[in-house]
Amino acid sequence: MLNFWKSYVVILLLCLGLLAFADDVKHTNNWAVLVCTSRFWFNYRHMANVLSMYRTVKRLGIPDSQIILMLSDDVACNSRNLFCGSVFNNQDHAIDLYGDSVEVDYRGYEVTVENFIRLLTDRWSEDQPKSKRLLTDENSNIFIYMTGHGGDDFLKFQDAEEIASEDIADAFEQMYEKKRYNEIFFMVDTCQANTMYSKFYSPNILAVGSSELDESSYSHHSDVEIGVAVIDRFTYYSLEFLEQIEKNSTATLQDLFDYYTFEKVHSHVGVKTDLYQRNPRHVLITDFFANVQNVQADKRSEENIEESKYSNDVLTNNVLNLAAERESDENKTDVRESYNNSANHFIKTHKLNNAITDDFSISYKTRIFAMSVVLSLFACVYLTKGVKAPTTKQQLFYI
Amino acid sequence: MPICNNNLRLLVGLCFVGLYLLVGVPLWYNLTAVYRAPLPVEYIRSLHEQKFHDVHMVIPVYIKSIVYRFPDVHEAVQVQVNHLLNSRYQFVPWSLQVLPHSEMKGPESENHVISLVLDDFVGYSISYSSKETTVFFDDRSVISNDVPFFVAQTIIEHTFTLELEQLSSDFSRKHETTAISYNPNIHLSVSLLTGDGYPISWEIDSALKEYFTPLRKLLSPLVNFTVDTGITYYNDLNLHILNESQSVTEQDISHAIDLSELSSMNYFEEPVSLNLAIIFPSELTAPSGLQFINNNSTPEDYGNNWKSYVVPQWGVFVINKYPLQRDSKLTGSFLVPIMYQFANDLFQLLGLAKNSGDITHPGVTIDSFKRWTTLRNINKAEETLWSLVKLANSFEQMSIPHEVLTNTTAALDLRLDIIDLLNDPKKGGDLLWNQALALSNQLVKLSETAFFHSEMVQQNFFPQEHKIAVYLPLLGPSSVVIFFGFIKLMKERNQNAKAENEKEDKDSQKSEPSNSTEK
Repeated sequence: MLNFWKSYVVILLLCLGLLAFADDVKHTNNWAVLVCTSRFWFNYRHMANVLSMYRTVKRLGIPDSQIILMLSDDVACNSRNLFCGSVFNNQDHAIDLYGDSVEVDYRGYEVTVENFIRLLTDRWSEDQPKSKRLLTDENSNIFIYMTGHGGDDFLKFQDAEEIASEDIADAFEQMYEKKRYNEIFFMVDTCQANTMYSKFYSPNILAVGSSELDESSYSHHSDVEIGVAVIDRFTYYSLEFLEQIEKNSTATLQDLFDYYTFEKVHSHVGVKTDLYQRNPRHVLITDFFANVQNVQADKRSEENIEESKYSNDVLTNNVLNLAAERESDENKTDVRESYNNSANHFIKTHKLNNAITDDFSISYKTRIFAMSVVLSLFACVYLTKGVKAPTTKQQLFYI
Repeated sequence: MPICNNNLRLLVGLCFVGLYLLVGVPLWYNLTAVYRAPLPVEYIRSLHEQKFHDVHMVIPVYIKSIVYRFPDVHEAVQVQVNHLLNSRYQFVPWSLQVLPHSEMKGPESENHVISLVLDDFVGYSISYSSKETTVFFDDRSVISNDVPFFVAQTIIEHTFTLELEQLSSDFSRKHETTAISYNPNIHLSVSLLTGDGYPISWEIDSALKEYFTPLRKLLSPLVNFTVDTGITYYNDLNLHILNESQSVTEQDISHAIDLSELSSMNYFEEPVSLNLAIIFPSELTAPSGLQFINNNSTPEDYGNNWKSYVVPQWGVFVINKYPLQRDSKLTGSFLVPIMYQFANDLFQLLGLAKNSGDITHPGVTIDSFKRWTTLRNINKAEETLWSLVKLANSFEQMSIPHEVLTNTTAALDLRLDIIDLLNDPKKGGDLLWNQALALSNQLVKLSETAFFHSEMVQQNFFPQEHKIAVYLPLLGPSSVVIFFGFIKLMKERNQNAKAENEKEDKDSQKSEPSNSTEK
């Protein structure tokens, strides 16, 4: 009896849990914006951070067309790189992050503050290719990951410029106003990272940062052969957690947040939830890091299958039959119209014939008139000059 | 000599100050002023706050009686229709103009026609192919004068059911996740995928020409389809991992299937794309077929060897049970049932039907969808312009180019043109609704061009430190020289004044003893 009640309660809780998940899921597509704001060899780890995230979201099904990768891309083929054409995020060199097809959308000096803001707000000139645009809509969940060198309320872009937290907040507001997202998950790994989301004010944004104000973010470990640090601590432990995730995983974002501890990250990870309507405990990791498409089976019963075999029968109600019927009607109309047109042509030709006949009659009369005029002229000449007198020869032989 | 030098220095200082004020300040103002075109803010605000206040869509309906002659039936039906519509809440005001059949302009197939037919029972029937609604009535209903009410109820609750449902609430699509967002240009990608690398072919060209081209023409007032086809080898969308499972749920398939290779929209010009993927498993991974597709079917039973699934806002994929043999050719007879199924799904993906195959009278539904989409487009354009105004007010440093104003004005003018078309009770028929829809698409484009203007991007936030960092090196060197020169000048003046005073004092002290001696 006790077992029965236990199982009943478990089933009830499971149903409630499923309902809680089912109620909240509104998105139909997932996008990822992955930005490495650093360049140069000694920032190898930032490139590795971003490429690791790229590999993860791609593994979980987000297509390349829905991943925007901004990367200076100057380490894989750097002359200091002992492993030419490869980027690793671990000293065991188990995974070559640059090995599979990597589609970098913005590389080198294209990684600018202006381009990042343009990307978010989709304000481009007409010749901007679709592959470099964030074509999201109100059903899109967007995962935004940024890494680089930052400070209080700013993040440096390639040692040349910096983006302020207010700029990102305003860009998100513009996205919200134009219904360009359903939810945003913002993750930033940089020094004083939590200040980067402090100015956000648009709804449905969940943010996590690696370190609080006046606190540094640290690298995880260095690779002796490569000679520089290969990954940051916050990203390392994020990936360690995400490697366990598959598309059918039920792990939630709260599980990810709980995974970060000071002992692991060596800084205080911050989470901003006040703008986010859902409880992170009910938000699946796959809602942002994967592209899980809902699938609905067509309700084709056996009868329908039988019917479909013969569904090209004109009497069956199907939109294809209707379309075919309309087309045949139009063709009949076309034939009729062409017949009518030909009749018209015939009429015109007939008129033309009449006209030609009339012309002929006119010309005939004209000719008779002209001939009569010519003959009358000859007659006049003949009468005025009289009959010529016979010549001597005529007189000699005929008279 | 020192006095002359001081005057010169004073003159130079004054020249610099004059230069700052007369040249520097205007130059600084002109170079840093942000051009903000004056948008018609109040008008757009009123459109947002009083949505559709100037819209009253009128749909003409022509009524004819087959047996009896009812000379005033259209007036009686009009009264009942007005009563029924007034009893419902309307987010967008709309009404029907009931007219006698003799007043119809244009062909009957392009207008809504109500035929009254005497029968033994009371009922209705809506034509599958045309926009004709037949209302059956009996003699009792004529005697009790119920015919006008029957007609009014039929046309409002059944013929114009889409208008009745959709125009009673705002146009938020919170619960709509299957259909794509409406766009007049859609790309359709038809793919054949096989898990093996054997050469295969399919008669897709003739099948599309025979079956899909008429459908494209039928839907052409709504959507312009472009189509591409292709065969992909060695790709079964990862379905082989479900091979051993006997019972597979929709959730299992959604977790297993990998649509990423088919989801690229980047190669097409159209902003929206739909997919139809026909998938065959590999001989290596599923030599005896996928177990979860119709267990009882045999390889010869082609009709039962496949199952189709709808992916919201993506398209349809068809999973075949058995792998393709070497050098197979998919004939039209195999593709035709798939085309029929896809046609039903397409209506669901376009938002014309709630469920696949749920469309009972497409002629009427397509017509209603045109009107609904026109109104949604108007709403979308208004919302876009309102967002533009809000952002322009929020970000005072954001420039608003003149082109934005031009596009905004053009959009507002076009909106009025469309509303004139919708409100005119004398106009109706396919041509009108097609024209209104085409103009509304143009309206959306204009409003979005205004909103997404490429020059309306800049960093809005400039910290104070940045301003100091910019202006200090610019103004610092000259200002410091002038400032310290001015201080030095003042000091020298004070010193000179002191020296003069002391001199005067000394002079006066010197003159005092002589005076005393004089005394």
